[in-house]
Amino acid sequence: MSGKTILYVEDNEYNRKIVRRLLGDPSYRLIEAEDGESGVAQAFQELPDLILMDVQLPKMSGLDATRILKADPRTAHIPIIVITSFALSGDREKASAAGANNYLAKPYSPRELLALVRQYLPES
Amino acid sequence: MRPSLENASLSEDPEIKIEQLADLVQRRTPLHLLVHWVAGIRASVHTKLLAAFLIVTGIFVVMALVSLQTLVSTTQQGQSLDEAHELVSLAQQAEHALARQMHYTDLALLSQDEVAIAKILRENNRFNEKLAMIEATGTTDRHLFEQIRSSQDEVMAVVADMANAIRDGKLGTVTGALLRRQEQLDGEITSRVGGLVMAQQNRMARLRESVDAANHRSIILTSVFAVGAVIFAMFCGFVISWSFILPVREAQDFLDKVAAGSFGERISVPNRDEFGVLADRMNHMSRELHRFDTEQRRAAAELGRLNLQLAQTSKEKSDFLANMSHELRTPMNAILGFTEMVLDGLYGDVPAELKEPLADIQVNGRHLLRLINDVLDLSKIEAGRMELALGEYSIGEIIEIVRASLRSLAAEKGLEFAVNVPSDLPVAYGDYGRLTQCLMNLTGNAIKFTRHGRVEIGVELVGSELIYRVSDTGIGIPNDQLENVFKEFRQVDATVTREFGGTGLGLSITKKFVEMHGGRIWVESEFGKGATFFFAVPLRTKGDAE
Repeated sequence: MSGKTILYVEDNEYNRKIVRRLLGDPSYRLIEAEDGESGVAQAFQELPDLILMDVQLPKMSGLDATRILKADPRTAHIPIIVITSFALSGDREKASAAGANNYLAKPYSPRELLALVRQYLPES
Repeated sequence: MRPSLENASLSEDPEIKIEQLADLVQRRTPLHLLVHWVAGIRASVHTKLLAAFLIVTGIFVVMALVSLQTLVSTTQQGQSLDEAHELVSLAQQAEHALARQMHYTDLALLSQDEVAIAKILRENNRFNEKLAMIEATGTTDRHLFEQIRSSQDEVMAVVADMANAIRDGKLGTVTGALLRRQEQLDGEITSRVGGLVMAQQNRMARLRESVDAANHRSIILTSVFAVGAVIFAMFCGFVISWSFILPVREAQDFLDKVAAGSFGERISVPNRDEFGVLADRMNHMSRELHRFDTEQRRAAAELGRLNLQLAQTSKEKSDFLANMSHELRTPMNAILGFTEMVLDGLYGDVPAELKEPLADIQVNGRHLLRLINDVLDLSKIEAGRMELALGEYSIGEIIEIVRASLRSLAAEKGLEFAVNVPSDLPVAYGDYGRLTQCLMNLTGNAIKFTRHGRVEIGVELVGSELIYRVSDTGIGIPNDQLENVFKEFRQVDATVTREFGGTGLGLSITKKFVEMHGGRIWVESEFGKGATFFFAVPLRTKGDAE
């Protein structure tokens, strides 16, 4: 029985590879999506325990996807960490306005990401 | 309701009524042709006015001359009248003398006294004397005088006969004949002298009539001249003034149109005087204005087009920057992420000899990332696309973030790293992220340029101004370089860059962010002993959000 499900929405293959390795721990089940639309679809289908959402995505931006998920009663409770391109002024505000629970500025340190994930999904 | 209002306003201002009336007169009568003719005379206003005054003055001078002449002739006629009066008086005296002569003659006949004869002679002399005086004036028919004289001579002959008879004492015998003869002569002469008196009286009456007629004529003539001169003066004034008023009105209409922005209008006046010249100048001005306006409009349109183009270009540039920001950071994220995970042993144990090159990749990757961030920030600022995200923030939080991020770097260099923050600071308003970046830049620099000693961050509230301070005991900045440190790509010198690294953009970006907050930045330094950077921003930054 695998542990908590984490949905990672990111279009860059290498960044997905990093997270895949980082969360390769058997206590997590990582599912991935490459664009905003499929990210939303996956979230509705899988109802993960945590979503890591990149901001700049094909088809639908991460912020729009966050808004949709936070507006839907099925997914509204799922914590979402938005990953911005840069700690640009306003990005943090935009992310929290869209309903994100937290945000991480790119380039992030894998250690920081892991710490954040653990904050939301404490290991049992 | 409306007419009564108009009436009221007209009666309130009689001047307007008069002007309206004058306007009506000059437009509805052939006077306007004359006004146009006067306007069209090729002469200056001065000349026209002078000519009108001279004509009016001339009329008055002629009137004065006529009056003078009348006065002279009246005086002369007065004298003639006096003379005539005197003649009448003389004639009457002569008549009187004749009557007395006749009286004495009767007396002589009755009294038969020679004394009476002497009195007759005396009266005869007096009569002759008056008659001669009248005759000398030549005013009466000479024939009458001859008749009177011959009658008188006969009378005197009778008187002589009478005197002889008296002297001879034979009066009684001749009395009857003498008496008859004398009575006949007396009747004759009395009638003739009466004719003379009548003639003189008639003459005087005729003279008086002619004087009266002359006086009457001169009164009429003088009145006609006076009234004519006044009317002509008014007429000249009317025509000349309207020949000025009309172009002035045209000019007013014209100027109103120009003021309303209708350039290129033309003014047309018949005047060939100063007003004509003025109209030519106004037409010239109007043409020039039209030309300038057209040029201006073309330039404005061109400017608008360029501006639009520029805005488009700027937007494209800004979009490009935003994209680049993402495109550059995504691979950087992967490079730094993989490096960190390898170093953290997520891919298995790292051989000792690979640890140093991996750490070098990490250091240089981070440096490259900083460069990218700085260049993108600066580009965005230069493009005017950088906007502050204003909000409430905690000053203590900013300082804690900077302290936490740089503590290990300071520790690695063996530097003392202190923070000095009052505990009672209020919540501030500004761009949290950018102010953090500013303090991070200054503190990062301080640690970078300090080999031994300490780095301290401080903050203090002075009035409504927050003053952040970062001081170090580093290499310091020469006096002549203090001005330059905030310029792009400036470091104190090239060797510094080689030894300490850095992009040279951090301070200029910091300065721009501080200025966007409405603040200022400055540095105090003693070369070789350290530097203190200050930046002051309003506790509550003014912006759209507040």
